[in-house]
Amino acid sequence: MDNDKLLKELQSKLKTLITENYEEIKPQLEKDLNTFLEKSKIKLERWLFLFSSGDLTEEELEWLLKSQLDLVSLQGLQTAGISKIKLNTIKNNIIKIILNVIIGLIIPTR
Amino acid sequence: MNHLKLKLTAFLIIISFLFTSCSSTKTALYDQYSYQKTTEIKVEAEKLMSEATSPYVLHQKEVTMLLLEIEKLVEYEKNKPNNEITFAMWKMLTDKEKNLLAAFFKRWETKETLSPAFLEESKKQVLDAFDLLIQYEIKKDKKSKDALLDLINQ
Repeated sequence: MDNDKLLKELQSKLKTLITENYEEIKPQLEKDLNTFLEKSKIKLERWLFLFSSGDLTEEELEWLLKSQLDLVSLQGLQTAGISKIKLNTIKNNIIKIILNVIIGLIIPTR
Repeated sequence: MNHLKLKLTAFLIIISFLFTSCSSTKTALYDQYSYQKTTEIKVEAEKLMSEATSPYVLHQKEVTMLLLEIEKLVEYEKNKPNNEITFAMWKMLTDKEKNLLAAFFKRWETKETLSPAFLEESKKQVLDAFDLLIQYEIKKDKKSKDALLDLINQ
Protein backbone atom coordinates (compact mmCIF):
# COMPACT_ATOMS: atom_id res chain seq x y z
CA MET A 1 0.00 0.00 0.00
CA ASP A 2 1.44 3.40 -0.90
CA ASN A 3 1.86 6.01 1.81
CA ASP A 4 -0.46 8.61 0.26
CA LYS A 5 -3.29 6.11 0.17
CA LEU A 6 -2.46 5.00 3.70
CA LEU A 7 -2.52 8.56 5.04
CA LYS A 8 -5.84 9.26 3.32
CA GLU A 9 -7.29 6.11 4.79
CA LEU A 10 -5.89 7.07 8.18
CA GLN A 11 -7.62 10.45 7.98
CA SER A 12 -10.92 8.96 6.90
CA LYS A 13 -10.86 6.26 9.60
CA LEU A 14 -9.98 8.85 12.22
CA LYS A 15 -12.92 10.99 11.16
CA THR A 16 -15.31 8.05 11.48
CA LEU A 17 -13.88 7.08 14.86
CA ILE A 18 -14.21 10.62 16.20
CA THR A 19 -17.81 10.88 15.03
CA GLU A 20 -18.69 7.53 16.59
CA ASN A 21 -16.82 7.80 19.89
CA TYR A 22 -16.02 11.39 20.73
CA GLU A 23 -19.12 13.28 19.64
CA GLU A 24 -19.07 15.58 22.68
CA ILE A 25 -15.55 16.86 21.95
CA LYS A 26 -15.64 16.30 18.18
CA PRO A 27 -14.88 19.87 16.98
CA GLN A 28 -11.87 20.29 19.29
CA LEU A 29 -10.54 16.77 18.71
CA GLU A 30 -10.97 17.06 14.95
CA LYS A 31 -9.14 20.38 14.94
CA ASP A 32 -6.28 19.01 17.08
CA LEU A 33 -5.96 15.89 14.96
CA ASN A 34 -5.88 17.87 11.73
CA THR A 35 -3.18 20.16 13.15
CA PHE A 36 -1.21 17.14 14.23
CA LEU A 37 -1.51 15.32 10.90
CA GLU A 38 -0.77 18.45 8.89
CA LYS A 39 2.40 19.25 10.87
CA SER A 40 3.55 15.63 10.93
CA LYS A 41 2.82 14.45 7.38
CA ILE A 42 6.40 13.92 6.19
CA LYS A 43 7.49 12.20 9.39
CA LEU A 44 4.38 10.03 9.47
CA GLU A 45 5.05 8.89 5.91
CA ARG A 46 8.62 7.93 6.83
CA TRP A 47 7.58 6.15 10.04
CA LEU A 48 4.80 4.27 8.27
CA PHE A 49 7.34 3.04 5.73
CA LEU A 50 9.81 1.99 8.47
CA PHE A 51 7.03 0.29 10.43
CA SER A 52 5.65 -1.55 7.41
CA SER A 53 9.15 -2.75 6.48
CA GLY A 54 9.74 -4.01 10.03
CA ASP A 55 12.53 -1.54 10.90
CA LEU A 56 10.40 0.02 13.67
CA THR A 57 8.44 -1.99 16.21
CA GLU A 58 4.92 -1.07 17.30
CA GLU A 59 6.31 0.20 20.60
CA GLU A 60 8.92 2.34 18.85
CA LEU A 61 6.28 3.78 16.53
CA GLU A 62 4.14 4.66 19.54
CA TRP A 63 7.12 6.40 21.18
CA LEU A 64 7.73 8.46 18.04
CA LEU A 65 4.08 9.41 17.66
CA LYS A 66 4.04 10.60 21.27
CA SER A 67 7.24 12.57 20.75
CA GLN A 68 5.67 14.22 17.71
CA LEU A 69 2.70 15.23 19.78
CA ASP A 70 5.11 16.67 22.36
CA LEU A 71 6.78 18.69 19.60
CA VAL A 72 3.43 20.04 18.40
CA SER A 73 2.68 20.98 22.02
CA LEU A 74 6.06 22.76 22.26
CA GLN A 75 5.24 24.77 19.15
CA GLY A 76 1.83 25.52 20.61
CA LEU A 77 3.43 26.80 23.80
CA GLN A 78 5.28 29.44 21.81
CA THR A 79 2.32 30.60 19.79
CA ALA A 80 -0.63 30.16 22.14
CA GLY A 81 0.98 30.41 25.58
CA ILE A 82 0.76 28.06 28.53
CA SER A 83 -2.88 28.47 29.50
CA LYS A 84 -4.21 27.86 26.01
CA ILE A 85 -2.62 24.47 25.37
CA LYS A 86 -5.37 21.90 25.14
CA LEU A 87 -3.71 19.39 22.83
CA ASN A 88 -1.92 17.65 25.65
CA THR A 89 -5.06 16.94 27.60
CA ILE A 90 -6.32 14.59 24.92
CA LYS A 91 -2.88 13.30 23.96
CA ASN A 92 -3.54 9.71 24.92
CA ASN A 93 -6.81 9.59 23.02
CA ILE A 94 -5.16 10.92 19.88
CA ILE A 95 -2.23 8.51 20.05
CA LYS A 96 -4.47 5.54 20.77
CA ILE A 97 -6.69 6.35 17.78
CA ILE A 98 -3.78 6.90 15.37
CA LEU A 99 -1.88 3.84 16.51
CA ASN A 100 -4.89 1.54 16.31
CA VAL A 101 -5.70 2.76 12.83
CA ILE A 102 -2.09 2.40 11.61
CA ILE A 103 -1.73 -1.08 13.08
CA GLY A 104 -5.08 -2.11 11.64
CA LEU A 105 -4.05 -0.88 8.22
CA ILE A 106 -0.45 -2.06 8.11
CA ILE A 107 -0.27 -5.38 9.98
CA PRO A 108 -2.57 -7.24 7.55
CA THR A 109 -0.46 -6.10 4.56
CA ARG A 110 2.90 -7.16 6.08
CA MET B 1 20.59 74.57 29.43
CA ASN B 2 16.86 74.29 28.64
CA HIS B 3 17.75 72.29 25.56
CA LEU B 4 19.73 69.86 27.73
CA LYS B 5 16.83 69.52 30.19
CA LEU B 6 14.48 68.78 27.32
CA LYS B 7 16.81 66.08 26.00
CA LEU B 8 17.12 64.54 29.46
CA THR B 9 13.33 64.49 29.90
CA ALA B 10 12.87 62.86 26.49
CA PHE B 11 15.49 60.26 27.39
CA LEU B 12 13.75 59.47 30.70
CA ILE B 13 10.38 59.14 28.96
CA ILE B 14 11.85 56.68 26.44
CA ILE B 15 13.45 54.62 29.21
CA SER B 16 10.21 54.48 31.21
CA PHE B 17 8.29 53.49 28.05
CA LEU B 18 10.84 50.77 27.43
CA PHE B 19 10.39 49.34 30.92
CA THR B 20 6.59 49.46 30.64
CA SER B 21 6.74 47.84 27.23
CA CYS B 22 9.04 45.05 28.42
CA SER B 23 6.86 44.16 31.38
CA SER B 24 3.59 44.35 29.46
CA THR B 25 4.72 41.82 26.81
CA LYS B 26 5.35 39.34 29.64
CA THR B 27 8.23 37.74 27.78
CA ALA B 28 11.74 37.61 29.14
CA LEU B 29 14.38 39.49 27.20
CA TYR B 30 16.85 37.70 24.96
CA ASP B 31 19.61 36.12 27.01
CA GLN B 32 22.98 35.36 25.39
CA TYR B 33 23.86 32.89 28.15
CA SER B 34 20.65 30.88 27.62
CA TYR B 35 21.19 30.85 23.87
CA GLN B 36 24.81 29.74 24.14
CA LYS B 37 24.17 27.09 26.81
CA THR B 38 21.17 25.63 24.96
CA THR B 39 23.21 25.39 21.75
CA GLU B 40 26.10 23.70 23.58
CA ILE B 41 23.75 21.24 25.28
CA LYS B 42 22.10 20.42 21.95
CA VAL B 43 25.47 19.55 20.39
CA GLU B 44 26.48 17.41 23.40
CA ALA B 45 23.09 15.67 23.44
CA GLU B 46 23.32 14.88 19.73
CA LYS B 47 26.77 13.38 20.17
CA LEU B 48 25.66 11.27 23.11
CA MET B 49 22.39 10.10 21.54
CA SER B 50 24.34 8.90 18.48
CA GLU B 51 26.02 6.33 20.74
CA ALA B 52 22.73 4.67 21.68
CA THR B 53 23.29 1.58 19.51
CA SER B 54 26.02 0.64 22.03
CA PRO B 55 25.24 -0.40 25.65
CA TYR B 56 23.93 2.35 27.94
CA VAL B 57 26.29 1.38 30.79
CA LEU B 58 29.27 2.50 28.71
CA HIS B 59 27.82 6.04 28.56
CA GLN B 60 26.00 6.28 31.87
CA LYS B 61 28.52 8.74 33.33
CA GLU B 62 28.26 11.09 30.32
CA VAL B 63 24.45 10.97 30.44
CA THR B 64 24.46 11.83 34.16
CA MET B 65 26.83 14.75 33.53
CA LEU B 66 24.72 16.09 30.67
CA LEU B 67 21.53 15.85 32.71
CA LEU B 68 23.25 17.75 35.52
CA GLU B 69 24.27 20.51 33.09
CA ILE B 70 20.67 20.72 31.92
CA GLU B 71 19.35 20.78 35.49
CA LYS B 72 21.52 23.82 36.24
CA LEU B 73 20.26 25.65 33.15
CA VAL B 74 16.63 24.77 33.92
CA GLU B 75 17.08 26.21 37.42
CA TYR B 76 18.50 29.39 35.86
CA GLU B 77 15.56 29.63 33.43
CA LYS B 78 13.04 29.01 36.22
CA ASN B 79 14.13 32.05 38.16
CA LYS B 80 14.14 34.53 35.28
CA PRO B 81 11.11 36.86 35.33
CA ASN B 82 8.45 36.37 32.62
CA ASN B 83 10.18 33.27 31.39
CA GLU B 84 7.38 30.72 31.93
CA ILE B 85 7.30 29.51 28.32
CA THR B 86 11.02 28.70 28.08
CA PHE B 87 10.82 27.02 31.49
CA ALA B 88 7.78 24.97 30.41
CA MET B 89 9.59 23.92 27.22
CA TRP B 90 12.60 22.73 29.21
CA LYS B 91 10.30 20.86 31.60
CA MET B 92 8.86 18.94 28.64
CA LEU B 93 12.28 18.13 27.27
CA THR B 94 13.50 16.83 30.64
CA ASP B 95 10.33 15.00 31.69
CA LYS B 96 10.96 11.23 31.67
CA GLU B 97 7.23 10.65 31.21
CA LYS B 98 7.12 12.69 27.98
CA ASN B 99 8.84 11.49 24.84
CA LEU B 100 11.79 13.79 24.32
CA LEU B 101 15.36 13.97 25.71
CA ALA B 102 15.02 12.53 29.23
CA ALA B 103 12.65 9.86 27.94
CA PHE B 104 15.18 8.95 25.25
CA PHE B 105 17.86 8.33 27.90
CA LYS B 106 15.36 6.44 30.06
CA ARG B 107 14.49 4.18 27.13
CA TRP B 108 18.16 3.64 26.28
CA GLU B 109 18.82 2.64 29.90
CA THR B 110 15.82 0.27 29.98
CA LYS B 111 16.51 -1.35 26.61
CA GLU B 112 20.31 -1.27 26.98
CA THR B 113 20.73 -0.49 23.26
CA LEU B 114 18.41 1.10 20.70
CA SER B 115 17.79 0.00 17.12
CA PRO B 116 19.47 2.12 14.39
CA ALA B 117 16.17 3.14 12.77
CA PHE B 118 14.60 4.16 16.07
CA LEU B 119 17.77 5.97 17.12
CA GLU B 120 17.84 8.07 13.96
CA GLU B 121 14.15 8.96 14.12
CA SER B 122 13.99 9.69 17.86
CA LYS B 123 17.21 11.71 17.73
CA LYS B 124 15.64 13.94 15.06
CA GLN B 125 12.64 14.46 17.33
CA VAL B 126 14.79 15.53 20.29
CA LEU B 127 16.92 17.82 18.11
CA ASP B 128 13.77 19.43 16.68
CA ALA B 129 12.73 20.19 20.27
CA PHE B 130 16.12 21.83 20.93
CA ASP B 131 15.75 23.88 17.75
CA LEU B 132 12.38 25.14 18.95
CA LEU B 133 13.99 26.27 22.22
CA ILE B 134 16.87 27.99 20.42
CA GLN B 135 14.58 29.69 17.89
CA TYR B 136 12.33 30.88 20.69
CA GLU B 137 15.31 32.50 22.44
CA ILE B 138 16.30 34.23 19.18
CA LYS B 139 12.71 35.48 18.75
CA LYS B 140 13.02 37.19 22.14
CA ASP B 141 15.89 39.20 20.67
CA LYS B 142 13.72 40.22 17.73
CA LYS B 143 10.88 41.14 20.10
CA SER B 144 13.23 43.32 22.17
CA LYS B 145 14.52 45.03 19.04
CA ASP B 146 11.00 45.54 17.65
CA ALA B 147 9.86 47.08 20.94
CA LEU B 148 12.82 49.45 20.84
CA LEU B 149 12.20 50.36 17.20
CA ASP B 150 8.51 51.01 17.95
CA LEU B 151 9.55 53.44 20.66
CA ILE B 152 12.08 55.19 18.48
CA ASN B 153 9.58 55.55 15.63
CA GLN B 154 6.74 56.79 17.85
